[in-house]
This record gives sequence, C-alpha cells and structure tokens, in this order.
Amino acid sequence: MSNKQKTKYDMNSPEAKALTDEIVHGTFMKEGTMAAFPTCFPGASIPIPADESHITALDISGDGMVYGGTSGRAVHLFVGMFHGVTGIVFDLGMPAGANHCAAVCCAGSRVVSCVNGPGGGRVVATGHQGLPFDLIQEWGFGRPAIDDWGKVDGERIVHAVADSTRAMVVGITTRSLFVADPGKGKAEVIGEVPGQGRIAPGSKGGIFGKDEGDWLWRYDSAARKLARQALKLPTGAWDSAPLCWARDTRTGLLYTADGGGNLFSLDEERGFSAPLGKTLPAPVGPMAVTYDGRVFGFCGPEMAKMFCYNPAARTVTNLGVAVSVLERRRYGYVFGDAVVGRDGQIFFGEDDDLGHLWLYFPKILPR
Amino acid sequence: MRMKRREFLTAGAGAAAWWALPAWAGAASAGARPRQGAGDRGYRTSWYPFTGHPDADTCWSVSVGPDGRIYAAACAESVPGGVVKVVRYNEQKDGLDYLFSLDEMVDDPGDSGRATQCKIHYSFAPSMADGVLYMATHLSGPPIDQPAYSPWLSWHDAKRCFRGSALLAFDTRTDKVLWWDTLMPKEGCRCLLHDEERHRLYALSYPRDHFIIYDTRTRTRRDVGRIGSINAQTLFLDRRHRVWTTDDYGHLVRYDPETDRLERSPFVLPHNPLFQTGWHSVFYDVAAAPDGECVYAVTWIAQPRLMRMWPSRGDWPKVEDLGPATQDRDPTLPKDTFIDHCGGLVFAGDGQLYYVASRWRDPVYNPMPADGPEREGVVWRLNPANLKREEVAILKHPTQPAQYVSRGAVDHNGNLFFGNVGTRPVGVFKVHLPASRRRRNAHLPIRMWG
Repeated sequence: MSNKQKTKYDMNSPEAKALTDEIVHGTFMKEGTMAAFPTCFPGASIPIPADESHITALDISGDGMVYGGTSGRAVHLFVGMFHGVTGIVFDLGMPAGANHCAAVCCAGSRVVSCVNGPGGGRVVATGHQGLPFDLIQEWGFGRPAIDDWGKVDGERIVHAVADSTRAMVVGITTRSLFVADPGKGKAEVIGEVPGQGRIAPGSKGGIFGKDEGDWLWRYDSAARKLARQALKLPTGAWDSAPLCWARDTRTGLLYTADGGGNLFSLDEERGFSAPLGKTLPAPVGPMAVTYDGRVFGFCGPEMAKMFCYNPAARTVTNLGVAVSVLERRRYGYVFGDAVVGRDGQIFFGEDDDLGHLWLYFPKILPR
Repeated sequence: MRMKRREFLTAGAGAAAWWALPAWAGAASAGARPRQGAGDRGYRTSWYPFTGHPDADTCWSVSVGPDGRIYAAACAESVPGGVVKVVRYNEQKDGLDYLFSLDEMVDDPGDSGRATQCKIHYSFAPSMADGVLYMATHLSGPPIDQPAYSPWLSWHDAKRCFRGSALLAFDTRTDKVLWWDTLMPKEGCRCLLHDEERHRLYALSYPRDHFIIYDTRTRTRRDVGRIGSINAQTLFLDRRHRVWTTDDYGHLVRYDPETDRLERSPFVLPHNPLFQTGWHSVFYDVAAAPDGECVYAVTWIAQPRLMRMWPSRGDWPKVEDLGPATQDRDPTLPKDTFIDHCGGLVFAGDGQLYYVASRWRDPVYNPMPADGPEREGVVWRLNPANLKREEVAILKHPTQPAQYVSRGAVDHNGNLFFGNVGTRPVGVFKVHLPASRRRRNAHLPIRMWG
C-alpha cells in the first residue's frame, strides 16, 4: 500500500552523495578479500559444466588440499590446490548415477564422499592427490579411480564428517547413523537417528547431530556408542532451519545457530554458551573458524550476506554480499559449505550454477 | 570533461526545467546533415522528447508493436520514486501518446517506499496472433525517500526491496492492459523474448542473472538457473525454438527446449585482443536478418564488436567478425561504455541493417573539430551483401550529444525509431528513410525480442 507520508528525497541534499556511495558500495565485502576460483585449471582445462557445479561439500586434508563435491545434473568430486606452484581445481571424476554430494571427508588415506542419486545414498572414495610438479612450467594429471563402497541403508545421505582422529567417517542418512571405515571400504549402520541437518565433531571426540525436539544426539566414535537426547539445545528456533556447524580446529569449540540467526558455541565439557549474537538475515548457512577464533559465514536465502563473529569483541558484523574482483569478477549469492584453509583463509563452496571455489582472506586485525 | 552516465543523469535531475520550453514539444525536426562523404542523402531525423513525463531520464526500450506502431518506454530511474510511462508514436499528429503510467497498472505506486517500477529495459515483446504487446519492468530507481537503490543491499528488506518485475499484457487493439503478473520476485527483467508458437516468454533477471521461462497460458514461471554476473542485454530465438544469449566471458549460451538445459559454447565471441579477453563481451543488441537465416549482433563493452552468425548451422554457429563498431582509442584507458557504444540494430524495408554507433572527439584517434560536438550518434547502414558500411545520418538532440542509442525499430511505414539515453530531456528519434528505401509493413517479420 502506498505510504503518502513519504517525502521525496532531495537529491541536492549535502549527504546525498555519501549515502549513495554507502548504498551502492557499502553493500559488498566490507572487510577482507574474496577471490572466486573456477572449477578448472585456468588456461589449461575447462570448468565443470555450470549445471553440475553447485559446490555442496568441502573438506581439507592434512597437507592443505581442499577436497569437494558438487551437485546438480551430476556430481563431480574435485581437489583444489592453492599453495606452492599450483592454483587449480582438478575434477577428480563423477560418481556414477549421482546428482547430489552430501559430504566429502578426508579420513585416513582416503577421501570419502557421500553422494545421492535416484537410488539413494552411496559412499565412494578416492585417494589423496599429491602436489603436481609446477603449474606454471609443466604438469600431468591422471583421473583416479572412484571406488564405490555401496549404499548405506537405501536412504539418502544427509551429511557426514571425519571424526576427530580423522580415522573414521561418521554420517547420517534420513533415518540412520552410520560409520565408514576407510580400512574396510564399506559403511555400517550404527543406530537410528532422525537424520536432519549437519553433524559435527566436538572438542572431546563426540559427534553431535540434531535429535528429536530440542535435543542433540551424541556419538562416541571411539566407544562406538550412540546416546540419544544427549544434550539439550538452548532456547531457540531449532526446527525452522537445518542445523549448521563450524568448528574451531585448535580448540574443538563448535558454533551453531538457530533458525533466527542466533549464534551459540558448544564446548563438549561445558555445554552451550548463552546467545553470542544474531546474524541478519537468517538462517545461517555454511561457516568456518579461522585460526584467531573469528567465525566467518553466510546467512540468508537466495542472496546471502557474509557475517563475522569475533569472540574477542563478542560482536557479529555484517560483511555484505560476496564479490570477487580477483581471478574472476563474480558476485557470490549462495554457498553450500565452508572449511578453513592451511593458512587461515576460508574456502567457501558456491552452491550455484557455475559454482566457484571462493577463497576468503580475512582482514588482519590491528594489534 | 569525462562524465559517467549515472553522474550525467544525476546532474540532469536538478537541471533547468526543460519541459517548460514550448519549442521542444512534439516533433522537433533536427534536420540531420550527414557528414561529408556520407552515402545517400535524404535521411531526415526528428526528435520527440518525453515532454509528457518530465521525470523521464532514459529510454531503454523502443520496439514495434504487433500493430506496426512504435512503442517506447519513458523511464525515470535517477529520480527517487520515479516510474516508467509507456508511450506510442502517433503518426497522425506526429507526436507521442502517453498510454499509461505503469505503476498504476500493477498497483505498485512510486511512493511505496520500495524500489520503483522505473523502467522497461529491452523488454517489449509482441504477440502477433492476439495483438498483445508484452512488457516487463526492470529495477534501479530508488525508493522515493532514498537517493539510490541497491538490489543486493535491500534483498532481504521487505520495506525497500523491489517487489519484482511486473509483466503486462497490453492489448494494442483496445489499448487496455489485459492482465499483469509478477515475472520475477525481487528482481528486474533485463530483456524479454516471446516464442509465440510455444506460448513462452523468456527473460534474464537482474541482478542474479537467472534465465526465466514464463508460460503465457498457465501464467507460471520457472527458473532454469544462473548464467553469470553480467546480464546479456538481449535474447534471440532461432527456428528450432532455441533461445540464445551470452555469458560473462563472451561465450554463446543457448537454452534448448529439447534438453531443457542451458548450454555454453566453448568459443569466445569476437573482441579486440589488444585490450580485451572476451570478458564482458555479452550481447548488447541482436537483429535477425529478414530471411531468418542469420542474426547480426553487437557486444556491450567499449569498442563494441559487430558480428553475424548463423544459429542453425553447425553444432555451434559460425560467427563472422565484422569488426569494431566504433573508433580506435587509447588502449590504456578503460573507456566509458556510455560514450563508446553501439545499439539500435534494425533491418529496414530496404533489406539493409541500420544501427547507431557513437563517435567522440579524441586528440589522437579522432580529432573532430573543436567547434563541433564533443560526441555524436551516427546512424550507419550496413549492406549484408557486401558488408559495406555507410554513414547516413547523425542524431541531433537540441541540447546535447546523442551518442547513446538503446534500441531501434522500424514501423509499418518503413521509418526508423531510436531510443535515446543521456541527459534530460530524453526521448525518441525518428529517422525518415528516403522514399525509395521505405516499404509498407517493413516491420515484418517482426522482432520477437526487446
């Protein structure tokens, strides 16, 4: 309805220019630098087809390689390398019959991926990639075999993670908790859980996921014990958005958010924190914790805004819409996963047509 | 003096009340004098400012309707609360008729506090069977109480966010809006195409650059997916009902209804290899040759490139580089695409391609006389048989250069019309073709895209 009270803005007002600049330029990347990297070796190979390149899963190996998986008309597994004389996203291949990648996990000597297709979820695995010789001078790549470890329980896989020792993969389907042992090459159902949202390893070896009601289940990977309704979630809107997590790899501290964008931390010994702050908009999507403890993530549907939670200042800051002016000139609207990189940069997987791997270099805070 | 288009527009917003000058009302014959060496004489031009909509600051759409008459969009995008009005050239009175203010037709008034229904951007598309002219709105005009609007900033702000591109079905037989719908929520429509046989409208959304299909029978839309970050400025249709456009890197992109998939050509469209890579070589304008076999296109980047292609030949079409449309320049300077521009591609009844390309004074590459205009819009005629180009007219605006033309169209009498973007007053140019080059129903076969 028209609001007749509104008066026309005076374009000659002294603040018009500054306000215009704020509206136009204050919208994007207010802090740090983004670089969108295509899913290829620029100049030497072509990207993954646009409608097969929604990046929905990421993980990082001990040697700093970023592994990921895409969704769309088909799934592609890939590895990204950005240190040394590299600079590539290499397409490792396409698991047969899959159109959704729920998780990629670096565990043991394998890269274990959980993919879905018309026949339900399957677990597949490839080996780790070594560093190539020199991607300025000469190179050679071979596409590795993708081993099919088979279905889990016939249902779609929702998510999976490597446990805190990175020896096992723990995942959920829409109805079961399962483990996949890289040494055995198959998945095994542990018990029944309501498979919803993402799961995460805590600071003491437990793995947490959303249980019925406002509860979390906890799985002890070492003891192979599942505890239902192990931990009560803090007061919040926990059923309006799938659970998401970020993990501080130094301390094991977890971060999550309710459907309203209220952030909480979870220490496995001390439990949940009080609300840390609130993102605008909501819900919170993928996020990761860099080495100084700051949490970077995206929030909001369709056109996500980046946020930063700084635990030192206890503030949540809106960093704006992602835009890359390095490597590729591109806006970033939807992101599917995040992982912290070798040097504290954050990798975000773009869950969009022609998805790119986005490298975020946070602002260096003054002393 | 270098002046960006947006600065240009802003400056114009506070300028003198030009519409109070009676001498400019209606057709102001500008008596174009072709430069020496021009081919044919007798290409007279007339100027029709948007006097009936003083806020109008751009004209992004000029198209021929299914009735053979010329329709244009009097857009108001730099004015807080500005709205677009649809106009039509009236050949009896040799002036413009103001058909309606679009915000009133779609119940989204300019003082809503949201971004406004401020313009129609390459988004007129005819329907020959029923005499309907489809049109879809674009965004950029600020809310009435803001100086600017960012769709990225306000995406999640229910009070500020653009409601969405409004799609209207305007009956040119009765001059009534038959119905309207929201073509794409929150986003603007950059360009529109009608596949009349399949009852489908195709569109590109802004800012997310999604490819949208709208079924005119069921009035439902479908989002096929994202193309990139830079909208192409046009879509075109081939005989196999495939819809073509471009991506950020100058690759052809086509939607094939058979596969229901967007496909990308591995090849890069022609560009200047000295200072371009193909990035931003998106289509600005495309005109189909009258035989329907090939199309002529120009890109939206400084030193726009002309090309023609045969979409039905080969897996990916043969693309013939016809060279730059504008002059040479200092390659160390990223030239302003408002000044360095080509648009208004249209085939006239004489079977020749006409378009308007800018020309500007440059001390090294184009030392135009100091007492002449700093910039000008040159009407070119290209002969498809031998690709020879001839300058036939210069568009004369009463007060300013008119180097930027958005679209061109030919009416049922065989005359050409071009939309002007610049400083107010903006409006429409008419180029009267010599009688020997005019043909009745020259607008047929009609262009199905904006």
